[in-house]
Amino acid sequence: MMVTILDIIIAGMLLGGIYALIAVGLSLQYGVARVLNIAHGEFIMLGAFITWTLYTAFGVNPLLSLALCGPTLFLIGYVLYIVLFSRLRVRAASPGAYEGNSMLACFGLLFIIQNLAILIWGADIKGYSFFAFPVDFAGARFAANRLITLGFAIVIGLVFYLFLARTRLGKAIRASAQEPEAAGLMGVNIDRVLALCFGLGALMAGLGGALISMSYKIQPTMGLEYTMIALIVIVLGGLGSIPGSFIGGFLLGLVGSIVTYVEPGLALVAYYVIFMMVLLLKPKGVLGK
Amino acid sequence: MLEVENVSTMYGRIQVLWDVSLAVREGETVALVGANGAGKTTLLETVSGMLKPASGRIAFRGKRIDGLPSHAIVELGISHIPEGRRLFPEMSVRENLEMGAYLARVWKDKQEILDRVFQLFPILHARQGQLARTLSGGEQQMVAMGRGLMSRPSLLVIDEPSSGLAPLVVDEMFRIIETLRGEGIAILLIEQNVQQTLEIATRAYVLENGRITLEGASRDLLHEDLIKKAYLGL
Repeated sequence: MMVTILDIIIAGMLLGGIYALIAVGLSLQYGVARVLNIAHGEFIMLGAFITWTLYTAFGVNPLLSLALCGPTLFLIGYVLYIVLFSRLRVRAASPGAYEGNSMLACFGLLFIIQNLAILIWGADIKGYSFFAFPVDFAGARFAANRLITLGFAIVIGLVFYLFLARTRLGKAIRASAQEPEAAGLMGVNIDRVLALCFGLGALMAGLGGALISMSYKIQPTMGLEYTMIALIVIVLGGLGSIPGSFIGGFLLGLVGSIVTYVEPGLALVAYYVIFMMVLLLKPKGVLGK
Repeated sequence: MLEVENVSTMYGRIQVLWDVSLAVREGETVALVGANGAGKTTLLETVSGMLKPASGRIAFRGKRIDGLPSHAIVELGISHIPEGRRLFPEMSVRENLEMGAYLARVWKDKQEILDRVFQLFPILHARQGQLARTLSGGEQQMVAMGRGLMSRPSLLVIDEPSSGLAPLVVDEMFRIIETLRGEGIAILLIEQNVQQTLEIATRAYVLENGRITLEGASRDLLHEDLIKKAYLGL
C-alpha cells in the first residue's frame, strides 16, 4: 500500500512538471501580452512533432531537439505578435475589446496550425521510444524519460524565474505587466516587450512539446487538451506567478495520477470539475491574492 | 529647450487642448497653473508621448518629438513623473528605481545614480527591499521622483507631486524640487499649491479650459489679480 501511494505521488509530480512548464508559457502570454492564447496547445503540438520528425527521420537526439524547438517556436511567436496581435492591439477600441479580438484570432490560429499539421503529418497517433527503460526511484519504478522530462521542466522554470527576477529585460517584462504606460516612460519599448513575451510563451510551449513527445503519444489534435490544462493550472496558481504555476501544476498532476489510478478515463473530467469549482469559489486562484 | 507650438490634443472625441504654446529654457523652472480639468495633465502627457497631438508641433533641443513614442522621448532626456505616481506595485523600491535607469546608456551607471537618489531620499535607502505598494503615500511619491531622476534627465516633467500628501511631506517635495533646480535640471511643474509653486518657479503659464490665458515671470503673476482671486484665495 505504501508503495502505491508513493507511486501515485511521484507519478503526479512527473506529470505536474510538464503542466507547470506549459502553464508558465500561457501565463506569460496572457498575463503580460494580454493574449489569451487558445492556440497554446498547437505550439506544444508543433514542438512535439518537430522533435518526433527529427528523431524518426534523422535520428536526432530529442534532447538536442529541445535546443532547436525553443528558438524556432520563439521566432514563430515573436513574428506572429508583430504581424497580428500588435496590429489588433493598436486598432482595438479598448483593452477589453483587444482581449476579445485577440482570443478570437487565436481560435483561428488553432484551426490553421492544426489542419496544416494534419496535412503534413497525418491525423494518426504517433510516438517513439526514447530512454524508456525503467528506473527505480524511491522504491517506485518509472520510465527514465519521465524523470528527464521533470528535471528539464524544473530547470527551465528556474532559469526563467531567475531571468525575470534578475535581468534588465526580465524587470522590464514585470514592469510592463504591472504598469505598461509607466514602463514606456522609463524607456521600455512596450511593443517589443510584448512581442518578446508572446515569443517566450511559444518557446515554453515548444520546449514543453518536445518533452511531452519523449514520454507520451502525440497527434495533431492533442493541443486543446494541453491548453485547457495550462488554463486550469493558471487558475489554480494565479496568473503571472512562476512558483504558483509550479504549485498548481504539481497539484493538478497529483489529482491526475490519483484519478488515473482509480479510473483512467476520468482524469480530464476531474480537471474540469476542479476548474469549474475554482472559478466558482475562488475566481482569483487558490494561491492568488 | 522645450518648445510647444499651437498644440491641440484630443482625448477620445473630446478636444482638451486648443492651440497651446509654451516654452521651457535650459535650467528654467516653469509652473503650469490651472483649475482641475483645464488640461494640465493632458499637456504633460502630450509632451512625454503618452498622447499624440492632433495638430501643432513639439520640439526638444531642436528635434521634433511630437508623434514619437514615450520610450523614444525619455531617451532624449525628458523624464515624466506622472500623476498618481504609477509605480510598479509588485516590485521592490530598489527595482522601481532601477527601472528608472532602464535606458541602455544609463543602466551601467545605475548603482552610482541610485546612491545619489538615496542621498536625496534617505528613507528610500531603508525601504529599498519593500514592495512599492506597501509604502505610505509620501514614500511612494519619493519613489516616483527618484525613479524619474534615474534616467539623468535634462528636463523633468512633474505632475502634482504633492497630491494627497501631508503638509510636512509637501514641504519636503518642494525642498527636493529646489535642490534639483539648483543642479541645473529644467523643470516643468504642475502643482496645486500655487503660492509655493510660483515662489520657486522662474516663469508660469495659466491654463484655462484647454487654452493658455496668461503667462509671465512668476514674481509678476503672484501679484496678478486673476491669480490672486482664482488660485491664491486672496
